Amino acid sequence: MKSLFKQKEFSIIAIIIVLSIILSFVSPVFLTIGNFIDIIEANTVMGILAIGMTLIIITSDIDVSVAAVTTAVAVIIGSLFGYLPDSWLSLVIIFIAAPIIGLVIGSVNGFLVSKINIPAIVVTLGILNIINGLVLYFTNGRYLNSTNFPESFLAFSDFELFGIPILIYILAIVAILTWYILKHTFIGRSVLAIGGNQQSAVRVGIDYKKVKLFVFAYMGFLCGVAAVAQTAYTTAVDPNGLLGLELMVIAAVVLGGTNIHGGRGTVHGTLLGVLLLAIMENGMILARIDTFWQKVVTGAIIVFAVSYDHISYKRKQAKLAKIEVEV
Amino acid sequence: MKLTKESILGLIALGTFILMSLIAPGFLGSNNLSNFLFQLPEFGLLALGMMVVIITGGIDLSITYVAALSGVGAALMLTNGYSIISAIVVAIIFGVACGAFNGFVVSKIGVPPILVTLGTMVLFEGVILAITKGNSISGFGDTYSLIGNGYYMGVVPLSILIFIFFAILTGVLLNKSSWGRSIYMYGNNEIATLFSGIRNSRVLMKVYLYVGLLAAISAIIMTSRYNSVKVDLGSSYLLQSVAAAVLGGTNIHGGYGKVIGTVYAVIIFQTLSNGLNLLGVHSAIVDVFIGGILILVLTLNFFSDKMKSKKESRVSSVS
Repeated sequence: MKSLFKQKEFSIIAIIIVLSIILSFVSPVFLTIGNFIDIIEANTVMGILAIGMTLIIITSDIDVSVAAVTTAVAVIIGSLFGYLPDSWLSLVIIFIAAPIIGLVIGSVNGFLVSKINIPAIVVTLGILNIINGLVLYFTNGRYLNSTNFPESFLAFSDFELFGIPILIYILAIVAILTWYILKHTFIGRSVLAIGGNQQSAVRVGIDYKKVKLFVFAYMGFLCGVAAVAQTAYTTAVDPNGLLGLELMVIAAVVLGGTNIHGGRGTVHGTLLGVLLLAIMENGMILARIDTFWQKVVTGAIIVFAVSYDHISYKRKQAKLAKIEVEV
Repeated sequence: MKLTKESILGLIALGTFILMSLIAPGFLGSNNLSNFLFQLPEFGLLALGMMVVIITGGIDLSITYVAALSGVGAALMLTNGYSIISAIVVAIIFGVACGAFNGFVVSKIGVPPILVTLGTMVLFEGVILAITKGNSISGFGDTYSLIGNGYYMGVVPLSILIFIFFAILTGVLLNKSSWGRSIYMYGNNEIATLFSGIRNSRVLMKVYLYVGLLAAISAIIMTSRYNSVKVDLGSSYLLQSVAAAVLGGTNIHGGYGKVIGTVYAVIIFQTLSNGLNLLGVHSAIVDVFIGGILILVLTLNFFSDKMKSKKESRVSSVS
């Protein structure tokens, strides 16, 4: 029981519960199943991206190009729709093409970070600029609405199983897949090992360049999946719709207990982080707080979360040193 | 004679300038040249600030929103009828206060700068939105607009003089003051610096205060030039300033960086974006160029470092 309280995830659950109780007083609509399904469905994209970002932050890197990559893939599949026949086959094509396009862009990021040794923040900022520029150039910022989307895709986006929208299932699949990779595969264990202590990991014989390449490529892959989810959710492609989402994604991951110095992070923690941010956003809307203040709150929470994380990290380090002295 | 990294960059800057004056129509026209000089300072000041942070091994992603917030501070003072001096003072106070906040979290708590400034970037943006409600504030009067649009002695733009002043000041501070030397030391080896008796947290704090100051000065020039301020004031300069610092030879891992290199890089970027604009290239493509150049330069750096270390190892194995 004590270990349960000590877990990082527990404090997030506690905050979520307290917040939910407060919000259920503010608005009677809040504590309904419908509202919760809406909240989760609206944040599927953020959830998918945050899961990928978890792996990257575990290796103590960062990727700020995720929103741009997702937008780019969404724009590409949006324009692909015009050439696709109206059958389930085009759905399959989209589901194969989008992750592959994302994977390619992610691999470029990963290659530059691992092989060319450029810091991830610079690489992904550069890629972000390039992609945003190209997207703006080709779309002119124009909104692509659902008129030329195949019927099969629209049917897919409205599909519900047991009253739960299909997007939530996609999020669940991504979460379980990533959890499995992180927990039960060699590459997943290597991700954690490198984040924990890169030198020891290399000495044990882990090819850290390959692992770095993997985390960025996997992030790209998930960006592709997120692009399909985003297109299905809005049934439109908005070149500016995801602007700045990368910050929320990073905030969710850090809130979810992933250590910014690497080595620690869980998929369920990240999902809780996403849920917390989502509930806050939903709550602020229900409480009719001015949208302008929402950014202030988000920013303050990010700063607070990273500071808190760092302080607890330092305390832990201090404790470690003490044990060594006593021995 | 061997050329330094910076003088090669200077030649590249000269080369791009000559290239643009050959292929871009009207690039050398007096109208365009004065435009060029008026656009340079605001970007240059932000790039200088970014360079100082990068020398410490950090990065400041909030720099453009710090600038925007100080711009809002100045705008509020001016539109409420206060004097220009008090508007400038308020802008600087806003900038330095934002810097102090970043500096506190980075130096005292010790959180990695990238995460702190990522958070404060959203925070400051939110504060600006809460103040301005997303609208722009404009109409600052003719005297104020002289800072960004006026000439000194009728020839030299006033703002470029401000930029030159701060470029020299940054250079002198970095090379001659003990604070500046500590910045390089900290960027090279944090622990060794601490053990040689330097208070790292004070050095870092001053770095972020200085960046806040530079952002505020840049904001004053920008607001004066545009005669209005909005939440996205100068936001396009964020990546460009990182790119300029890195292209200017600043080591992204910290420990190395020169003012003159950054200035050359700023000139290169300004020449490129100005020239490409004249050639009718879509402004979005200019962004693509800048992102591409940033990655290209770092890739070239990687290979030249590799060649160098290969040569060195060969020499040592021979001897």
